[in-house]
Amino acid sequence: MDIGAPETEHEIEIAPLEEPVPVPAPAEQPVEEPVPA
Amino acid sequence: MSSSKYLIEPIVGWRLWHVRRHDDAYRLESFTWHHVSWPARTRFEAECSTHGQAAPVQDHECGIYAFRTRELAEDLLRRYTGVRQHYGRPYQELPPLRQGCPIAIGRVSLWGRILARENGFRAQYAYPYELFLIGGEDDLAHELRRLYAVDVWPS
Repeated sequence: MDIGAPETEHEIEIAPLEEPVPVPAPAEQPVEEPVPA
Repeated sequence: MSSSKYLIEPIVGWRLWHVRRHDDAYRLESFTWHHVSWPARTRFEAECSTHGQAAPVQDHECGIYAFRTRELAEDLLRRYTGVRQHYGRPYQELPPLRQGCPIAIGRVSLWGRILARENGFRAQYAYPYELFLIGGEDDLAHELRRLYAVDVWPS
């Protein structure tokens, strides 16, 4: 991949508060069915 | 001369992936380094045969690559495959994609140590942010969406 001339390169340090890696959403808890009296 | 800048928000670049089947699941693979598979739901970490996990290193070409713009990624796609892709509207300019060899163009989050050039970046860590599938069906988009937990748009 041609990202440009090496002499244009400069360094950036990025320390995100949270890693931008998605995690699966927690499964919804089943709601308890009301039991008819 | 290099200057160092510190940020807390990831940089979002653009890049291409091959989409290939590994055993029982599809994976994103680096576009120019064949058979380098991107893991799902965990960061992809740069590793260099010379510098190990110190990648990316200045005066070398190691690291995870991404372009600054979608246009630059589309230009690489056109040069490699002949497929012209402009914001979701593909048309054939040269020979078509080979059947069964889908490609993903998409945004990628980059963080850690990053070396920025005029057209793009070499990064220490990366994870796909959003993918546009070229040459793949809805089922494949669904599988990649489930696997990597990111938005995947079929072509």
